Amino acid sequence: MNVDGVIAIFRRVLEIEEINADSDFFELGGDSLLATRVLSGVARGSGVELTFDDFLLSPTPGALAKRIGAGE
Amino acid sequence: MRVVVIGAGLAGLSAAARLTEAGAEVTVLEARDRVGGRTHGIEVAPGAWADAGAAYLGDRHTELTALMAALDLKATPTGMVGDSRFELGHGSETRHGRFPPLNAVALGELFDRLAEVTETVRTDAPWLTPDAATLDTTTAADWLEGLSPHPDAKLFFPLFLGEMMAADPAAVSVLHMAFYLRSGGGIRYLNAFEGGAQQDRVDGGAQQICARLAAGLDIRLRRPARAIDSGPDGVTITTDTETFHADSVIVAIPPVLADAIDIRPALAVPRSTTRTAPGCAVKAHLIYPAPLWRDHGLSGWSVNAHGPLLSTVDDSPDGGPGVLTGFVTGAEAHRYAALSPREQRATAIAQAMRLFPFLPEPDGFHVTDWLGETYSRGCYAALFGPGDWTRLGPALTTPHHRVYWAGTETSLEFFGLMEGAIRSGHRAAADILTDKQRTTS
Ligand SMILES: Cc1cc2nc3c(=O)[nH]c(=O)nc-3n(C[C@H](O)[C@H](O)[C@H](O)COP(=O)(O)OP(=O)(O)OC[C@H]3O[C@@H](n4cnc5c(N)ncnc54)[C@H](O)[C@@H]3O)c2cc1C
Repeated sequence: MNVDGVIAIFRRVLEIEEINADSDFFELGGDSLLATRVLSGVARGSGVELTFDDFLLSPTPGALAKRIGAGE
Repeated sequence: MRVVVIGAGLAGLSAAARLTEAGAEVTVLEARDRVGGRTHGIEVAPGAWADAGAAYLGDRHTELTALMAALDLKATPTGMVGDSRFELGHGSETRHGRFPPLNAVALGELFDRLAEVTETVRTDAPWLTPDAATLDTTTAADWLEGLSPHPDAKLFFPLFLGEMMAADPAAVSVLHMAFYLRSGGGIRYLNAFEGGAQQDRVDGGAQQICARLAAGLDIRLRRPARAIDSGPDGVTITTDTETFHADSVIVAIPPVLADAIDIRPALAVPRSTTRTAPGCAVKAHLIYPAPLWRDHGLSGWSVNAHGPLLSTVDDSPDGGPGVLTGFVTGAEAHRYAALSPREQRATAIAQAMRLFPFLPEPDGFHVTDWLGETYSRGCYAALFGPGDWTRLGPALTTPHHRVYWAGTETSLEFFGLMEGAIRSGHRAAADILTDKQRTTS
């Protein structure tokens, strides 16, 4: 999954349109419940299962896409 | 115009206050020897109060917030600073934040499905939701099974529904679950403390809202209403010892209790059915000299797979003692309510000491069993079981002769919450005033 795929998931889950590769999920009001919905979206789209801690360390679409790439 | 209001909870008192402002002569009949209903304070130390009933509110609870301001009551944040504790089957763990140490992808899948089903519900008329027939006949427990859930989702789902709506998934329809979650602002809002439905508490306890509302009203305590007779000239309300006459009556009590009143002419549609279940909540309060967990970097928040305390929250009043509130909900509430007071105390304290090993024996211990309250019959609110929304929903707010309906279970907005109770009271008062205008003009 590329950055655009992750951006699309952020948009859907946060219900915010203005998301770019550097948007920080938690600064945009994302909480742990919504974070799990990003991770399930990532798993469905790429087959990569990340943990909550992975997401805390990579809370932007850019950083998350890199982690997904490493797992694919 | 004379109006009798049955029930001195938030709904009845809000209605009574509105009608009084509009010039009506209002009498409130209350079964208990106190006002407040499902809001109730216990004094845990001199001048320090804990909420045995409703406690939390958020920004979207606009009527509640406005009422508090009008009554000169302040909100105090439910601070949640520090790490959380979890006992989810493999010993106890400390984690940063509120996220449980469970498979995040599995929980995400569960929340995705919950969000989907929640978004389909028509909150203005849940019984008209597309697919209502299926959603109303399936229990939340069967719905979960149908998703072939991951074991972690299976473990978490009853804890989540317990926390959100004090429900055993086997007792509620999917329609009720989805309606409740949407009516309260969605899963994310209902689940959140900061920025969500648990952001604040009422400083000094939620019962103060009722006490202050009641101050200016004619309230008769220890007067359970037994019968209501509507006739061409008015309505008569009978208690064990007296009768009251009025032009209209507002029934502002939970649906199962409304059905215990003998209403003549009889209702075409009852207020509840045999599937309508009580919400299952017992609150335990453990009182310490101070919020000692904070010294250990802990927030007091915990989530536990085994009871009695399925979750704990720091409800300490500012500058007062440490108050750790334990929630016993869903099926676990039935088990716990059946224990002797000594066993209730011993099991709750033992669990608190497992979660927070540095805690001493508490200075005080209080259990409030809402299942056993004759005049609540369950909490946080009634749970609509399979078929209930289809059968009861269309008549939920429809006046019957001179009888009007209020109570949080008649509110399509924030159903089950204090906000819903207040909105329902305001709606019933407005209905009476509108109908009155129509007949006099
Ligand atoms: C443990 C617990 C936790 C909760 N947590 C929250 C929370 O954090 N936030 C939130 O917003 N909400 C919460 N709630 C829900 C909230 O308390 C209710 O939604 C709200 O208080 C209901 O108000 P009401 O006026 O509709 O009903 P009630 O408060 O039940 O009032 C009905 C009144 O009618 C009286 N009565 C019953 N039968 C008769 C009769 N025949 N004649 C005369 N009087 C009668 C009763 O004694 C009662 O005083 C919680 C509830 C509980 C119990």
